[in-house]
Amino acid sequence: METLFNPSKTAKLFVPNISLFKSSFLHSTFNPQTHILFNRKTLSFTINCRAKTSQGRKTDGKNISKKILLSDSAPELSNEDVEPKPKNGGGAWGLVRKLPKRVLAVLSNLPLAIGEMFTVAGLMALGTAIDQGEAPEFYFQKYPEENPVWGFFTWRWVLTLGLDHMFSSPIFLGMLVLLATSLMACTYTTQIPLVKAARRWRFLQSADAIRKQEFSDTLPRASVKDLGVVLMAAGYEVFLKGPSLYAFKGLAGRFAPIGVHLAMLLIMAGGTLSATGSFRGSVTVPQGLNFVVGDVLGPTGFLSTPTEAFNTEVHVNRFYMDYYDSGEVSQFHTDLSLFDLNGKEVMRKTLSVNDPLRYGGFTIYQTDWSFSALQILKDDEGPFNLAMAPLKLNGDKKLFGTFLPVGDTNSPNIKGISMLARDLQSIVLYDQQGKFAGVRRPNSKLPIEIDGTKIVIVDAIGSSGLDLKIDPGVPIVYAGFGALMLTTCVSYLSHAQIWALQDGTTVIVGGKTNRAKAEFPDEMNRLLDLVPEIVQSSISEQPG
Amino acid sequence: MIFSTLEHILTHISFSVVSIVITIHFLTLLVDEVVGLDDSSEKGMIVTFFCITGLLVTRWIYSGHFPLSDLYESLIFLSWGFSLIHMISYFKKRKNDLSAITAPSAIFTQGFATSGLLTKMHQSAILAPALQSQWLMMHVSMMVLGYAALLCGSLLSVALLVITFRKVIKIIGKNNNLLNQSFSFGEIQYMNERSNVLLNTYFLSSKNYYRYQLTQQLDRWSYRIISLGFIFLTIGILSGAVWANEAWGSYWNWDPKETWAFITWTVFAIFLHIRTNKNVEGVNSAIVASMGFLIIWICYFGVNLLGIGLHSYGSFTLTSN
Repeated sequence: METLFNPSKTAKLFVPNISLFKSSFLHSTFNPQTHILFNRKTLSFTINCRAKTSQGRKTDGKNISKKILLSDSAPELSNEDVEPKPKNGGGAWGLVRKLPKRVLAVLSNLPLAIGEMFTVAGLMALGTAIDQGEAPEFYFQKYPEENPVWGFFTWRWVLTLGLDHMFSSPIFLGMLVLLATSLMACTYTTQIPLVKAARRWRFLQSADAIRKQEFSDTLPRASVKDLGVVLMAAGYEVFLKGPSLYAFKGLAGRFAPIGVHLAMLLIMAGGTLSATGSFRGSVTVPQGLNFVVGDVLGPTGFLSTPTEAFNTEVHVNRFYMDYYDSGEVSQFHTDLSLFDLNGKEVMRKTLSVNDPLRYGGFTIYQTDWSFSALQILKDDEGPFNLAMAPLKLNGDKKLFGTFLPVGDTNSPNIKGISMLARDLQSIVLYDQQGKFAGVRRPNSKLPIEIDGTKIVIVDAIGSSGLDLKIDPGVPIVYAGFGALMLTTCVSYLSHAQIWALQDGTTVIVGGKTNRAKAEFPDEMNRLLDLVPEIVQSSISEQPG
Repeated sequence: MIFSTLEHILTHISFSVVSIVITIHFLTLLVDEVVGLDDSSEKGMIVTFFCITGLLVTRWIYSGHFPLSDLYESLIFLSWGFSLIHMISYFKKRKNDLSAITAPSAIFTQGFATSGLLTKMHQSAILAPALQSQWLMMHVSMMVLGYAALLCGSLLSVALLVITFRKVIKIIGKNNNLLNQSFSFGEIQYMNERSNVLLNTYFLSSKNYYRYQLTQQLDRWSYRIISLGFIFLTIGILSGAVWANEAWGSYWNWDPKETWAFITWTVFAIFLHIRTNKNVEGVNSAIVASMGFLIIWICYFGVNLLGIGLHSYGSFTLTSN
């Protein structure tokens, strides 16, 4: 299998088509399992992970003869239990063949998986505790060798283990890969056999076996057929044969955990593709200017391949903000036009936060803004464009300022008018002494006279901060998200099984369920109350 | 103005009703069960539920956006979630142990939200541009409901641990009263039996039987409720990821809040996996669940307390004088 799949696919690994890579990725990682599939020796390590499996199998073995006589519609899958072939035992070849199984057995070990999850959780917690992505000097200061945190933790730990960039460090990624392999191994060696065991149902023929169930009750003067009707009305699948009854509900709850694991793998695969095959970039464009998509985007991994859409030219028609009555910004908008190579407009859209623009595989997000320039008239001359400089960038509290020289511009200490702005809405002006002179709105056309200079603020030109992205992993990740949500919900269903046996005029009922153990007895009591009591003994069936 | 008055009234009604309910709970715990009182406590919780619902609806109409944009609102929503769980479990099954968890939880969150600690946040604020999305409703409500359910479930596990731990203490022979009066609610049956201590063998076994039954019930209910909370948490995290892909340009940013939500998710995934092994005692999973209890609070409060990352609009400062 390995030699069949791998070379042909790895050859395509560097071919730009990304979906091909995905399939090869999945195939190659699944390889050990396909290998096993042809060995038919799965029995030995199905027990590893969950005790349930072994139980299921034990009882199966006991009732194998009974199992065959029933089943008009039951799924029968006992082919899987083919005897393991006794050959290929000793020698180096045998070792080589056994190795994947040993690895699989180790990987599907539940305590190991739990340990891995704990490690991942711990690493993530550490990743939030240690400041990420700072310069080495920062860590030298914060975790000095003279005074280590907890007595041993110094910057050497941080830098050698890559804890300064935890979420892309080899330790963390390696742990995730290990967790992914454990997921696959456990799905293969434990979950699938478990489902197969659950699907193999049987009637219980002895009253003792029924009474041994987690829930059991005896109904005097009742009929197993009435019970069947009641159970059917409650949504159970009911099978009736002579005096025996078997009913089940919520089998999907047994399948769903497999789906959860597969969805997790799908998300991980999509995440890998995102990390290796994306382009990202951000740009701050003043209103009225252009940029080319390809100039902004930079590859994130070795699978990133440029597309046609890179030639698209983007023109910022307008950038503006909405304000609340209190003066705070409520929304940012950028009106963009997209042009192809021939200069033809292919799309126009006003994007805002939470409303990105999507075209030709790339997405443009509104993420930031800046104050580009102030357009003013000085003594009715102009208009002049004054470039605004960011003065303080403390979180979202932005402040921009500019300076208009007044008088002799050649003198060593120039004096002039300062203008400050927090947003595009209002400009605060200060005179030559630095005293407050007034506030003007850009579009009010209202002149202000400062030290004999008449100034009209014509316009405030903002620049739009845009993030660009091409992420081929998103569809896969979204598919994984959908599957994960669905399968997690279905996993809540509890697989309930009920057996009953007619013994004279009494019916012995027993049942068990795998998840809703608290509700199950109540539900059973409620259902059994609904079973009608038979006054005259009119039961035709006798226990067989 | 009328809205804020209404809001004020509703807050106070819900808080006082919850306090009365708690008092009744403790009364039934200490004295024998009084049927009328028990019934009235249930009615009280229903009143509380409708008060908090009314409060949230008022806020929604008043502010014009879904009332989950800051910590105060999310706390109110959390206590609404507790009372919702309480209501559902009440209507499903008349009498249960769960109410002893949900009612105090509701009062604590409600009390914390309305206390002076967060007074500055009571005024519903404007909505930041990044929050102006339909996803706000889905993401935050799912997250908070998930927190509520997970907190309930892990509190049941904590109770299980307390009871098991008590057993150990008793074997050592330290029959101190302090532990008896500690956080124990459904134990009334054998608390009463304890009071007239006749140490014959029959009695001991019946006591153990009660304890066994109680721990088993706690174990099963905590598993069920944590599973439910896990679903909400999963949907919440994933819808948050989809929203982040719309607003921030990436579905996963390793933002502290995000990371801690993922840690919470992982811890409860561990809980669910431990439960699949039937040989392991309920205590082990209960330990994990109580760890999860702490981690939820770190995720819910701790990250906001630091006010770091992209989720900083939910942040607050304790020294805001």
